[in-house]
Amino acid sequence: MEERVPQHVQNIVIRDYCSKKNIQYLLSATEYAMENSALTLRQLVKDLSSIDGIVAYSIFQMPEDDNERQSIFNSVLSLKKELHFAVEGLSIYDNETYNHIENIWKVKKTIPDCLYL
Amino acid sequence: MDFLSKNEKILEKEFIEKGFIIREAANKDALNKIQKFVIDMLTSKGGDSLDHAHKNISISELNDFRLDVIKKINMQPWLREAYYQIAKPYLDILVGNELAMQSRVNLSIQLPEDSSSLLTVHADTWSGDSPFEVVVWLPLVNCFDTKSMYLLPPKAANNLSDDFKLHAQGNSEKLFDLIKNDVNWIKINYGEVLVFNQACPHGNRVNKESETRWSMNCRFKGLFTPYKDKKIGEFFEPITLRPVSKIAMNYKLPITE
Repeated sequence: MEERVPQHVQNIVIRDYCSKKNIQYLLSATEYAMENSALTLRQLVKDLSSIDGIVAYSIFQMPEDDNERQSIFNSVLSLKKELHFAVEGLSIYDNETYNHIENIWKVKKTIPDCLYL
Repeated sequence: MDFLSKNEKILEKEFIEKGFIIREAANKDALNKIQKFVIDMLTSKGGDSLDHAHKNISISELNDFRLDVIKKINMQPWLREAYYQIAKPYLDILVGNELAMQSRVNLSIQLPEDSSSLLTVHADTWSGDSPFEVVVWLPLVNCFDTKSMYLLPPKAANNLSDDFKLHAQGNSEKLFDLIKNDVNWIKINYGEVLVFNQACPHGNRVNKESETRWSMNCRFKGLFTPYKDKKIGEFFEPITLRPVSKIAMNYKLPITE
């Protein structure tokens, strides 16, 4: 959603996050550049059974569409896996963390409707 | 027209005129818990008095120690709520009751005569903070004179802002020289909390007192107020989202097509 950070910088941030959290970094995956694409993300979730979870660069790389994003989050939770976001230092691993991340998303989407300087 | 109570108006007037308020910590248990955690970390260095920490920590090892304390205290799941509770009634009045809070709480340690960890004169708004933010500054020891921080009152800050281009070619030390007779040195004791307007220039100087300063700081803002470089998610998180907002953010008009 709007922000773009060079891919090599994203990788540095993700590796640093994994190091600090003692998460073993296995493989990097890159989303297709087409607008609103979540093809790679959906494939990662589909293949999630063999690993512990996914580390994304940011919360706001998740699908902007509420239903699609929530579907991905629910898939991760139903598999009892984790979804981490390196820039924010946050993760989804239960209903409470799911709600927290969703609230952040919804506030972010609401802000443009608020009066702005 | 406003419907603010007498107490709210007193706090508002003071904050607008001085750029800060100092009040009793609203939750002493929370404050003591935070202080105890920090003292326990100092114990690992062989000390038990925050005021005299300079006897246990050298200037060269200060920053690594400070970062270690910040890392460990921010790992405590109770920390941010405790910190918020200490200032909650004042934030409710000055900022609002639907808030975003900085994701990490910071810690400053100023050893006597240490020039290595100074914050030169600045306003947070000069480097990417929204003017809708306030700083909650929490002393873990009594702070006074150069053991504390200084703040330029709003009126003088506005004058400086108006004339800023005249001084923009200088440096931060020259800027401090310009304002040093107008700044307020914050006198605040342990057990009190400071809330200040971070758009007013502030900073610290070499601590010329004989005691070490320990203070924490964290930013708060109205959840639905403008953000600048410090964004929701990566820097701020919602902490008191209200039910109507929760409902409204999920609201969709009935589908007609």
